Amino acid sequence: MPSGASETVSPFLGAGQTYDSIGSTLAGIPLSARGWSRWWIAMAAAVALTGVLVVSLGVLFYEGVAIWGNNIPVTWALDIVSYDWWIGIACGGLLVSGVFLLLDVAWRSALNRISETMALLAAAAAAVYPIIHLGRPWFFYWNLPYPNSFALWPQFRSPLFWDAFDILSFLGLAAGVFYVGLLPDLATLRDRAWERSKDDGRPDGIDWPLLRAQLYGIAALGWRGSAVHWHRWVQAYRTLALLGVVTVVALQVGASVMFAGTSEPGWHDTLLPVTYLAGAVLSGVGMLCVLTVVLRHAFHLETLITERHVQRLALVLLGLALVNIYCETTTGFVGALSGDSFEHAAQLRRVAGPAAWSFWMLVTAGLLPPLLFAIPRLRASPAVLAWVGGAAAAGIWGDHYALIVGSLQHDFLPSAAHGSRITVFEWSTFAGSAGLFLLLLLLFLRALPIVSMMESRQLATRTGAGPEPARPGAGHRAPIWGVAAEFATEADMAYAAASLRSGCRLRVDAYSPVPSPTTAAALGLHSHSIRGFALGGFVLGAGGTFGVCTYATVHDYVFNIGGRPDFSWQSFVVPSLSFGSLVAGMGVVGAMLVFNRLPRLNHPAFNIPGIARASADRFFVAAHGMGEEFDLKPAETILSALPALSVHQVPR
Amino acid sequence: MRQLFAPGADAVLRLALLTVSVGAILLLVVVGAVANSDYISGVGIAPRQPVPFSHKHHSGELGIDCRYCHTSVEVAATAGMPPTHTCMTCHSQIWTGAPMLAPVRDSLANDDPLHWTRVNHIPSYVYFNHSVHVTKGIGCSSCHGAMDHMQMTLRVQSFHMEFCLQCHRHPEEHVRTPDQVWNMDWGAPPDQAVRGPALVAKYHIRNAAQLTDCSICHR
Repeated sequence: MPSGASETVSPFLGAGQTYDSIGSTLAGIPLSARGWSRWWIAMAAAVALTGVLVVSLGVLFYEGVAIWGNNIPVTWALDIVSYDWWIGIACGGLLVSGVFLLLDVAWRSALNRISETMALLAAAAAAVYPIIHLGRPWFFYWNLPYPNSFALWPQFRSPLFWDAFDILSFLGLAAGVFYVGLLPDLATLRDRAWERSKDDGRPDGIDWPLLRAQLYGIAALGWRGSAVHWHRWVQAYRTLALLGVVTVVALQVGASVMFAGTSEPGWHDTLLPVTYLAGAVLSGVGMLCVLTVVLRHAFHLETLITERHVQRLALVLLGLALVNIYCETTTGFVGALSGDSFEHAAQLRRVAGPAAWSFWMLVTAGLLPPLLFAIPRLRASPAVLAWVGGAAAAGIWGDHYALIVGSLQHDFLPSAAHGSRITVFEWSTFAGSAGLFLLLLLLFLRALPIVSMMESRQLATRTGAGPEPARPGAGHRAPIWGVAAEFATEADMAYAAASLRSGCRLRVDAYSPVPSPTTAAALGLHSHSIRGFALGGFVLGAGGTFGVCTYATVHDYVFNIGGRPDFSWQSFVVPSLSFGSLVAGMGVVGAMLVFNRLPRLNHPAFNIPGIARASADRFFVAAHGMGEEFDLKPAETILSALPALSVHQVPR
Repeated sequence: MRQLFAPGADAVLRLALLTVSVGAILLLVVVGAVANSDYISGVGIAPRQPVPFSHKHHSGELGIDCRYCHTSVEVAATAGMPPTHTCMTCHSQIWTGAPMLAPVRDSLANDDPLHWTRVNHIPSYVYFNHSVHVTKGIGCSSCHGAMDHMQMTLRVQSFHMEFCLQCHRHPEEHVRTPDQVWNMDWGAPPDQAVRGPALVAKYHIRNAAQLTDCSICHR
């Protein structure tokens, strides 16, 4: 989290951006009641498409999967193609956001929210498929280990089971990364919505603006930007990002070993997990490019998502396309050298068989267009980025079709050669899943900031003419909680916190719109870590999963499956990793909330005059006593010697 | 200074969170308990029959052998339901005018079998053969309970898959000598740990890995 006291403006931010202007721009979008006409048009389309999904699913549940083109041997058709495509986009989004966060890449600030939102919503669109593609969808829970009357366990030695755990863990971690990253922004929205509700005057009936502020407030869990909160938040967020990356790899391995682990010609390929992951990230970044350019244009965010962002995205897309070209070429090369006639036949069908169109879709849309970005001039064009990104995502869809349907159309036996047609209901279900994605995206846009305000602020200068510091209210008779001071800069806040900590016996905390490592150090927080809870959760979750898999397959459910040894420990690694990551994520988020005493909607710190600006552009320090008897004098003396904008006694 | 939330808001929020989480867990527990209850599986419920036939009276008190009525139990997949003629071997001589037996006499007169309500049911995708079980030492009471104590016939097992598997995984715990197969009060003798494996070997019962293959029951 780079946020020193330096005044240099980041190159990844338009000129003149301040903490306050970022907040006004981004929080102003969901809080504003005007300018939503285009949103309603898009919403109508999204609702219509989601209706198509509902109708398609209704027919599917009534008629059964025969309305799709699936057959024997093409047991997996557009259902699994679409599932793998959506979850690939989701994985790409979470991986990019997580990796760039862990590497402290400055330009991720403007893109991580879009990326994380895309990951969560694409995972929601993907989550439609695993259940509906079952012959008896109402028994979906049979995939999970639960106390059942069959005396059976799921088959832990199968990658099909890995997928059930992987997608659960992915959904949990994607939601965790999204929500934890959103917490500080929700606090900003709460404070701004509350300010606006005061302007609107008191209506007679329900005070909708106030209710909206309170809804944001509940969602923010009472976040008040305290230095203690920030300290644990940074740890939790970064840990979640790391866990998300682990789960993405586990999920893509699970999804691809389902193919690669079989002897099917075209699938049996040791490079497939890598190819799959590379394709997923390419499609994820491709979709991210589309969303970034469209939202940047629609909400006029050119100052926050700059031309440099567009250039960086284009470079990432170019790099990923090269990785994918390497994987595809190597697969072809190794297959050609294999000397296996079935493999040769599968490769021939891939480029000239009945499903060859999908392979050429991969090449012409997915692999070649990003190479355009080798030309520097093209990298600067948002329109080109959006088109190439969209093409790349579509190309990866073709890759999944070529791999899944193309390979299944013909295996070893002449009798197992059977074409497959995509039916209307397969298309309508796919279109409907896109409608669901769009619907959720539009709801997100209406209520939440598209770009992380907190992240963007870290790139901006603090200065900006805001309103005057709050004046003390008329003499209040409530008992006193403590004393608070308002500062214009983070450095002043950190210095004040350090002075108070050494100069008085009160409890000291600081409140700021961005995490402040210097203040955390001044308050002696650096030795406090909640990462141990992530480690403990991981050991518990991974060890527990591994133990359950071992107990079931070695002891309780001994079963010969394809001649595999009972203790096939290699098979237990992937679900253990992903479920361990989920429990680790729950552990670290739980620790962050519990040790930060959140949710806490009503808190004496909210009585500090002007504290709402701790979520915008001001820095506060507060010293408060415990119990009834404490002396504020030393603290007030210290604060009066500092360049505070204001010093107040704060009622309880 | 007024806050966005009143001091009591936190208590309400915590109560709501607690209610939702406890409610979600409770819902799972209740759904699981109902799904596995005797009410759903029909255990212990004696359905209404055309004639209130008592196994307790005929088998327990009069001592009629199971196989007198269920004639094919040792040679076929189904134990066999007796035709009305079997009833009439006795009831053409005794209780000939009993109003309770009117449906039996009507059945014979009209050549229309009695329409018993099935008590023990396994799904059509389960292949079950009575003969192989009773000839290899699995007694009637292992699945049907003490029939000779049942006034009205009821189901004592849910016939969930776990019920079949607990025996297929450990046949040596349940296997009996041939003369004990028809004993409704059989309990494992103290030396079953020794007898069981010997009987399993004698009957040529396959090992647990084979007995629990899917295709043993799902053909």
